[in-house]
Amino acid sequence: MLGIRTRFLALAFAVLMLFVLSNCGSTSKLAQVQNETFTYAANVEIMPGGWDPSTDYSSELIAMAQMYEGLTRYNAVDKKVEPLLAESFDSSNGGKQWTFTLRSGVKFHTGRPLTALAAKAAIERTIKLGQGAAYIWDPVKSIDTPDAHTLVFHLKYAAPLDLIASAGYASWIFDTKAAGSGDLGKWFAAGRDAGTGPYTVDTWQPGQEVQVTLKAFPGYWGGWSGTRYQRVVFRYVPAATTTVQLLKAGDVNAEMQLTPQLWASFQNDPNFLTTSTPSYYNFFAMLNTQRAPLSDVRVRQAIAYGINYDGIVAVLKGNAVKSSGIVPAGLFGHFDDLPNYTYDPTKAEALLREAGYGPGGKNIKLVLTYEQGDNFEAMTSAVIKSSLAPLNIDVGVRPLQWSVLWAKTQASDLSQRQDIAIYGWYPDYPDPASWFVNLFETQNPPVYNATYYSNQTVDRMIGEAMKLTASDRPKAETQYRDIQVKLLQDVPAVPLVGMVYQRVLPRSVSGFQDDPAYPDVVFVYQLTPVK
Amino acid sequence: MSEVAITTRSRGVARLARKNPLLAWGALVAAALIVVALAAPLIAPHPQDAGSTMHPAATLQSPSRAHPFGTDMYGRDELSRVVYGARVSLSVAGLVLIIAVAIGVPLGIAAGYFGGVVDNIIMRVTDVFLAFPALLLSLALVSVLGPSVRNAVLAISVTWWPWYTRLARGQAASVRGRQFIESCRALGVPRFRMLWRHVLPNSVTPLIVQVSLDAGGVILTAAALSFLGLGAQDPTPEWGLMVSQGQDFFTTQWWLVTFPGIAILITAMAFNLMGDGLREVLDPKRVLTR
Repeated sequence: MLGIRTRFLALAFAVLMLFVLSNCGSTSKLAQVQNETFTYAANVEIMPGGWDPSTDYSSELIAMAQMYEGLTRYNAVDKKVEPLLAESFDSSNGGKQWTFTLRSGVKFHTGRPLTALAAKAAIERTIKLGQGAAYIWDPVKSIDTPDAHTLVFHLKYAAPLDLIASAGYASWIFDTKAAGSGDLGKWFAAGRDAGTGPYTVDTWQPGQEVQVTLKAFPGYWGGWSGTRYQRVVFRYVPAATTTVQLLKAGDVNAEMQLTPQLWASFQNDPNFLTTSTPSYYNFFAMLNTQRAPLSDVRVRQAIAYGINYDGIVAVLKGNAVKSSGIVPAGLFGHFDDLPNYTYDPTKAEALLREAGYGPGGKNIKLVLTYEQGDNFEAMTSAVIKSSLAPLNIDVGVRPLQWSVLWAKTQASDLSQRQDIAIYGWYPDYPDPASWFVNLFETQNPPVYNATYYSNQTVDRMIGEAMKLTASDRPKAETQYRDIQVKLLQDVPAVPLVGMVYQRVLPRSVSGFQDDPAYPDVVFVYQLTPVK
Repeated sequence: MSEVAITTRSRGVARLARKNPLLAWGALVAAALIVVALAAPLIAPHPQDAGSTMHPAATLQSPSRAHPFGTDMYGRDELSRVVYGARVSLSVAGLVLIIAVAIGVPLGIAAGYFGGVVDNIIMRVTDVFLAFPALLLSLALVSVLGPSVRNAVLAISVTWWPWYTRLARGQAASVRGRQFIESCRALGVPRFRMLWRHVLPNSVTPLIVQVSLDAGGVILTAAALSFLGLGAQDPTPEWGLMVSQGQDFFTTQWWLVTFPGIAILITAMAFNLMGDGLREVLDPKRVLTR
């Protein structure tokens, strides 16, 4: 007979073994599931604008890019447009006519095949709705479909349509017949997709942490050979410290954004790869050119000289580089040798004195707005406030929700408008036009031009540059240079810094490359899970 | 003569401290905090860092001899900011309590003394304000007014005065029926003078206790508002804001949240201990309302 003590020990041992065994089971099961599921942690809502591929114009992109495809895709490494749904493409008539030959054997998630007519219908719906980034199709006059696999675009003016078709917004090809006789917009709004991409929607739970889950579309034209992720999960994780814990626990495979410090804390971790990639995402201090004292160009120039750019870069610790001009590095139209402003408090003071302000002179009070919750903009704004204070410029910094901030920039009561708005901008397709058209062209009423700058010469030059892009690239570049020189003289906006994507990737994921043309997008289909 | 008086008094203080050590500690720490707040420019090693000055080349340095509490994400000396933070927190607490008492007590005394319709009107309005959770009402107000220290003070005051109305009303109502008030009335003392000279002084003890107890609560609420981005804004060295700004750095730069956090803890605790102690000494019968 066993003593009571031995019996107790045996029991304890049995319980322990049971615990160990059950744990073994669960870890191996977990590993298996994780190798199939790719989890992405975003610090913003995943589908803030809904599910309509024609109109979405925000962070939906990170999920849409898994479900939808355009005719082409831009490769930022080779700086080339690559075929996607179009197998080949060509331009004629000096860039005024474009022919795209569609890939055969492509199916929409609805089961219908991709045809030239279907693609035409999708693009035409986007143009007709005219929301979001629909303006990218502005050059298109008409679309012909000579056969089931050929699309011919006739343009109003020469434009780089291959580049335009690679856009991250408004370029998706979808099945316009998905809703049958019903309303397609409503059909999408229920959380459905009708794309040709490798993944299709499985669940959508707005407001939850796990907001969107996607599953593999078995009929994907690229096939499912090799090891690929079968599911994609998008989690909404607002706090960067939480994201770090999820990464370390293996619950998350990629993240939208960490702070530079948290990113750096992974640098010596053998389980993670840290990457840093220049982006097309850059930031401006949009100055209200219609209200005193910023209506005085000397005051605007003084502010441009009074901002400590190196300070912003230092505070953002590798997450930012100083801008040169309006167009970010990596895109045509970018120049390193523009007459940029550097931090020069003496010059700033002299200009302010000329205008009757400055230390000892009249005090300037300005209201600066930035998007609440954006750490990058918060720190940039704090440095601006700090560096302008010694110049007798008091900057009242106001973090506002984007919708409020944007409404304020458009307020019909001009006194409600801000003096300075911090804007971040990235292009809808890899081309400089987006910045000039949206931020600096005359807009009445204003949409994104929070500088209210209106200069007919500049407007004309922007139009010319866009038209030259497809027909005479070198001339277009010169034109963009001239526009930027003019904008630096007039300073409707102060170019601040460009963002550098800092990404932490678990070594269990292979094949990821940040593509600045598709901000924060991870093309999950291209990745390989590694055991 | 005077020496005798001083020794007697200091003996009295010493006896009180022995009898009620919590009160003594609370009062001592609270007094020290007030000294720190007043003498901030002398104590802080880099007073300009509490303002808009930044040192981008010296960001996020760990605690060292030059910066005992380290530096923040803008290179500012954390110790200086924590020291100046005492100014912000104590003046917020002071202002809120002054406003709350200035609104709440006269209303409460009027309600308690006059009774009837006046009492009903004042107390129902008070009830409306009390029906909202304090922090929620402050949050709503600040999000309408816009985030700043001034608006935080206003918003917290709005949620705080009703408690003083209730307290003062209870006191005034109990004093009202007393003999000396009756005598005043018989002598024809004017109403205002009677309220000011007789009713108020006899209701003041529990108010003092409540004020000292509330100081900690107000500081915590102000810190909570700033933490949520609805109170002080950078570069104001407010402790709640500093904790909020430091939260993303918690795992990598611990000092950014730790020191302002400790400051909030010490301050709130000191005022609570002091309030509790005062209650025991001045008003042993009263049961805490919250």
